[in-house]
Amino acid sequence: MNIMLKLENVTKIYPGAEHIKAVDDLSFDLPEGEICTVVGPSGCGKTTAMKMINRLIPMTSGKIYVDGQNINRLDTIELRRNIGYVIQNIGLFPNMTIAENIAVVPKMKGWDKDRIIERAESLLELINLPPEEFMDRYPRELSGGQQQRIGVARAMAADPPIMLMDEPFGAIDPINREHLQNEFLRIQEKVKKTIVFVTHDIDEAIKMGDKICLLKAGKLVQFDAPEKMLTEPANDFVRDFLGGDRTLKRLNLLKLKAAMRPDPVVIMQGASPAKAKAMLDDLKVDHLIVVDEEKRLLGYVNHQALQKEAEEIGKVTRSTDSFMLASSSLKDGLSEIFTHDLGYLIVVDDDKKVLGVLDTEDIREILRR
Amino acid sequence: MEGRSLTPILKKIIPALITIAIVAWLYKFYGAWAYTIKNLAEFFRLTLEHLLLVIISMAAAVTVGVGLGTLMTRKGFDRLSPALMGVVNIWQSVPSLGVIALAYGFLPLLGMSGIGVVPALIALFFHAVAPIVRNTYAGIQAVSKDVIEAATGMGMNQKQILFRIELPNALPVIMGGIRTSTAIIVGTAPLAFLIGGGGLGFWIFTGIALMDMGIMMAGAVPVALIAMLADSALARTEKIVVSKGIQAEEYQVAM
Repeated sequence: MNIMLKLENVTKIYPGAEHIKAVDDLSFDLPEGEICTVVGPSGCGKTTAMKMINRLIPMTSGKIYVDGQNINRLDTIELRRNIGYVIQNIGLFPNMTIAENIAVVPKMKGWDKDRIIERAESLLELINLPPEEFMDRYPRELSGGQQQRIGVARAMAADPPIMLMDEPFGAIDPINREHLQNEFLRIQEKVKKTIVFVTHDIDEAIKMGDKICLLKAGKLVQFDAPEKMLTEPANDFVRDFLGGDRTLKRLNLLKLKAAMRPDPVVIMQGASPAKAKAMLDDLKVDHLIVVDEEKRLLGYVNHQALQKEAEEIGKVTRSTDSFMLASSSLKDGLSEIFTHDLGYLIVVDDDKKVLGVLDTEDIREILRR
Repeated sequence: MEGRSLTPILKKIIPALITIAIVAWLYKFYGAWAYTIKNLAEFFRLTLEHLLLVIISMAAAVTVGVGLGTLMTRKGFDRLSPALMGVVNIWQSVPSLGVIALAYGFLPLLGMSGIGVVPALIALFFHAVAPIVRNTYAGIQAVSKDVIEAATGMGMNQKQILFRIELPNALPVIMGGIRTSTAIIVGTAPLAFLIGGGGLGFWIFTGIALMDMGIMMAGAVPVALIAMLADSALARTEKIVVSKGIQAEEYQVAM
């Protein structure tokens, strides 16, 4: 895979504080299209590390390569125009309309007017703010959450391959933050940017990151995928930082698809009640999942339902809410299992086709791995 | 709704109308109107002189004031800024008459005449420049550091940051300084007459010397009118040049 961002022995010593290395010999590779969350206790150098990438802070030694090019050989201004930048306090330009804010970098890059307008409109659509309503409004007329979405859109305006985000959702209230995180992940699915995402919140780091870069006093402690870090923390510091509920955090990360038992026993809606009864007895189960010819979930039958006279079981099938998309998190899945009637969860795809089943045993199984 | 929104307008307009009526009556009563009509040519000449004093000194003050105020925020100069601001603040506290007297006293030391239009313009310029420097400096300093960081991170150069971000966002404060200066200068310009600068001060001081209220008012009332017109013209300019995104809310409602 193409390495989009490479840090090599990057060190930062601030003048006047020569005995402290704000960033100490940091190296990592980030493949194209991945989000790397940089996390650590405050003062660990995470923001400094990020700002060296667009040279807002000059590094003391080491090398940084963006798409194979040494950033010290590039023109600073040109480098920055090719790196999207989002800061915690948003920093929208209050004297410009939303459209003008988004247009800043494309304009500097010399795009023609129509292309800029088109781009601004499509970005606003991407972040779910209707262009006709928002293009001509000013930042102060927008809520904090809306402003931060514009901040993200502005950073993406000239379609930079790399984006730097400095605690982008840090100043947003928890409910809106979760919403923005989900929305951002949805956008990332489409745009596949290479992103360095600084946060102090380990849950956010786990949720947003394809890789987590955990720093302590300027030093890299562990650089791994979230799942790997949760299952194999490098040392006690990582273990402590991840928190005592490390195992539960994995629930957030794992998808139903990974934990489910695939290809469960199902019965077609056209089958006879006699066959269903026989199957229930043979398999020693309480219910059978009923599907149509396309294997789409219809509901379930149990002994009680089969007591009614019917030619085919489709007529006596009971509907159920106890199903979920395979892409949902185990955490949501677990919650559903406890809420609903069957005691287990039917895992379906977008077309409601049955893919597997999941109960608490399966979840224990995968967490023990 | 209409009834409620009408009251504040009435509250503003009625005192203004009463004041205008009283001034107009006094203007007529003391014979200022008659004096002006009788000396119409002189009236226009003095008014023109007065306007030129104000416009020329203000134009110079805006240019130098905004320039100096901006320069004080630049890297390298910012270490001098506190000292410079101290000087500006002390300078601003010198009374108008003092500034005129200083010009009269000091310019001869530099080998220039202390009397005439040029010394008057120099005095007015120095008097006008202080609030503009101060507000320009404060206005640019007040632009949010986050906004500057975002602009820098997005790849704007120093010049773009200054002209697209800092100055536009400081403009309401800068305009405030210009309006303050204009009000001060229109009011100070009559003193220019004392060092031979001409203008409507001629009638005002003649009226005082002759203890003739009519002549005095024939000079003073136009000065007050110029001050009011200048301020409303600047308010309008402000509404046009300042981005709607940062205009004070009250202006927007008034639109």
